[in-house]
Amino acid sequence: MTDSHLARRTLLRYGAYGAGAAALAGTAASWDRLTGADIPGRDDGSLVVATLGPAYGPEAIRTLTEGFRKVHPGIKLRINAVQAVDWSDFFAKILTQIAAGTAPDLVYVATEGVQLFAQRLGVPLDRWVKRDSAELKEYFADVHPSLVESMMYEGHLYQLPVEFNAADMYLNRQVLRRAGADFPAPDWNRDDFTALLRAMKKSSGSQFTPYFWTNRLWGGVVPWLFAGGTNLLSESKAPGGSWLWDSFYPAAEREGRGGGFRWTTPQATDGRVEETYDYLASLIQEGLCTRPEGGNGQNLVGVFSTGRVGVTPAGGFWAGGLHLAGMQASGFDVQYFPRWRTQRHQFGAAGYALLRTSKKQDEAWEFIKYAARRDTLMRLFDTNQTTPARRSMLTAARYAESGPKHWPVFYDTLDKFPDTGPIPAPPQVAEVTEVLLKYTGTALASPRSVRPALRRMQGDLEKAMERDV
Amino acid sequence: MTNTQVPAVRPRAATPAADVSRPSPLRTRGTRLLAALFLAPTVVGIVVFTVVPIVGSVVLSLFHWNVIDSPSFAGMANYREVFTDATVRVSFLNTLVFMVFAVAAQLLIALALALTLNGRMPGWLRSVFRSAFFFPLVLSAASISVVMKYLFNQDFGVVNWLIGLVGISPVPWLTSEHAALATVIIVYVWQQFGFSFLLFIGGLNNIPKEVHEAASLDGATGLRKHLHVTLPLLSPTLLVATVVGVINALQVFEQPYVLTNGGPGDSTRTVVMVIYETAFEQLRFGEASAVGVLLFVLIMAVTALQFRLSRRFVHYQ
Repeated sequence: MTDSHLARRTLLRYGAYGAGAAALAGTAASWDRLTGADIPGRDDGSLVVATLGPAYGPEAIRTLTEGFRKVHPGIKLRINAVQAVDWSDFFAKILTQIAAGTAPDLVYVATEGVQLFAQRLGVPLDRWVKRDSAELKEYFADVHPSLVESMMYEGHLYQLPVEFNAADMYLNRQVLRRAGADFPAPDWNRDDFTALLRAMKKSSGSQFTPYFWTNRLWGGVVPWLFAGGTNLLSESKAPGGSWLWDSFYPAAEREGRGGGFRWTTPQATDGRVEETYDYLASLIQEGLCTRPEGGNGQNLVGVFSTGRVGVTPAGGFWAGGLHLAGMQASGFDVQYFPRWRTQRHQFGAAGYALLRTSKKQDEAWEFIKYAARRDTLMRLFDTNQTTPARRSMLTAARYAESGPKHWPVFYDTLDKFPDTGPIPAPPQVAEVTEVLLKYTGTALASPRSVRPALRRMQGDLEKAMERDV
Repeated sequence: MTNTQVPAVRPRAATPAADVSRPSPLRTRGTRLLAALFLAPTVVGIVVFTVVPIVGSVVLSLFHWNVIDSPSFAGMANYREVFTDATVRVSFLNTLVFMVFAVAAQLLIALALALTLNGRMPGWLRSVFRSAFFFPLVLSAASISVVMKYLFNQDFGVVNWLIGLVGISPVPWLTSEHAALATVIIVYVWQQFGFSFLLFIGGLNNIPKEVHEAASLDGATGLRKHLHVTLPLLSPTLLVATVVGVINALQVFEQPYVLTNGGPGDSTRTVVMVIYETAFEQLRFGEASAVGVLLFVLIMAVTALQFRLSRRFVHYQ
């Protein structure tokens, strides 16, 4: 009797606990979802701009904020320099912020993420560009149409490019002298390039590798694919965009332009792709270049500046990098990427993307315009850590101290080779890049590995491209 | 020789009859409240930072979610996708191979060094060695891996330069499918063995000297003494070191991510790398959670197996 009485009491007590917990859960569920922005002090009404941390140091951030405040004293600005090792890591962190409810208003986005952001998160800038067309005429007149086209997606413009880097070829002058070789001509070809690597190898010791490259989307296999007259994914152009071309560019420059690039069908098993990989595999077998996993940008400056590497593909950003590493302007130089079937170069550009979630879109547009101004970019890029998107900024004075001697190559790449285009970066870019890097390593393990690896790469790329982002 | 065979499971001490009639101090209302108050921070911490994320992952594994759009219910689709994904299968295999070799190497090196240091040695020298062996553990795995990447670089690394001095050709430490996993294991073990080493030092210090003296009197020497006296008495510590080592090894991420990024091909891609890439690079949080749940189940199963086996091999004094 007593036992059953106690059990009933216990039952009642636990019932009360349960009812209390249910009431608490119900109350919590009825609240709006709490986000990071609900944390007191987190949302102070500022226009938030997310930038890639290493690209923008404290000095650059101060330049941007103070300059913008002078022009727009009514707009509070906060630069959020996100620390990340590369663009992929940066985008992952931005997406995490979005998931946490603390999305920035603007994000600094490179070609790698232009279509991903445009498709899922971005706001086209078309209406503002049309509205302020008179003010923007000077900007577009100074920026190559190829750069602008790379920021378009399905006929709409999503960013104003402020910087770019084409993959040209850097050469170490000391290594050239050691090999008894002349500086290559602008129209050098793949055979000249191979012969030069052999001469460098012959004249240097065992701790030397003539050609150093990094396995990544920019500057890895892709420039060779472009030179070989092919691409990882079939490339075409979206219709549209005439609203922009007709307004800002003369007839000669708008010819063949469209509404942005489309990268759709994987073509890893294309004969030309196989040929490109065969060529790189042969360089590795001959000891003329690093294996894909061996090369990484972190130690490149060190090994190049000390003469342990002769040639490497890089963009205008490296002029500043080598100068900061203490390399004399006379110690290195730059030339176009060698011709194979074509001399088409690849580039990557960057600018600010406006997010749909932003409640300050008009203010954000003012920042985009401010960030693309010549005086802003002059102050921001004064150490040659990149190639400015504005042609007028590339002057002899800019490169007098840092070098290289042939600095006009940086911008002339776009003029001299008009088919030069962006790296293939569809909205599924993260998975495409991962597949590319993975199978490039496998393919170049030995000459016999190329075909099986490319077949598997094709399969995985097809799966990746079928997926909705 | 002294018989060190003791029951596998420690018998519970019998409760004195007198205690039954007397109410335990913990049974009074005030004491229980105080106990609850002391426990509350830990319990809240575990619930918020362990239980909720685990439950959240299990729930998320049943949804498609890309961060940008609202989640949509997927049922078991993520698990089906994961089971048919060759990269996931390879990553589980890599992780298991890594776990076996890394834990074995870690325990053997740590035990050998602990036994060596437990012998006759000046106190100051022992302290120097202890600090040196433990030091890598307090460093960041990512920064160590960056340095190791330089050291093991095939073309410009110090390791190949050193072996080149004795006429050995450069080894593709990080760029060969066969050598890369071994190199990742070497770097991991170099950093992690300090933890097991510290546990073994503590365990060895707890073994009464009398037991060793008795064994010596019975004629046991060197390896025989270690095998029949030291190891059985160290077995509880060995169990802890193995369990912790296995759990850590199954969750390895930093070393392969920085050293090889999972390559060449998938040869060093681990399960946690796949979780990270699927979630944060490919925005497939549901699938990433499904892989996470499978890893959780694997860790639980391996740990349970270890405890089950421990009944036969672990001896408590």
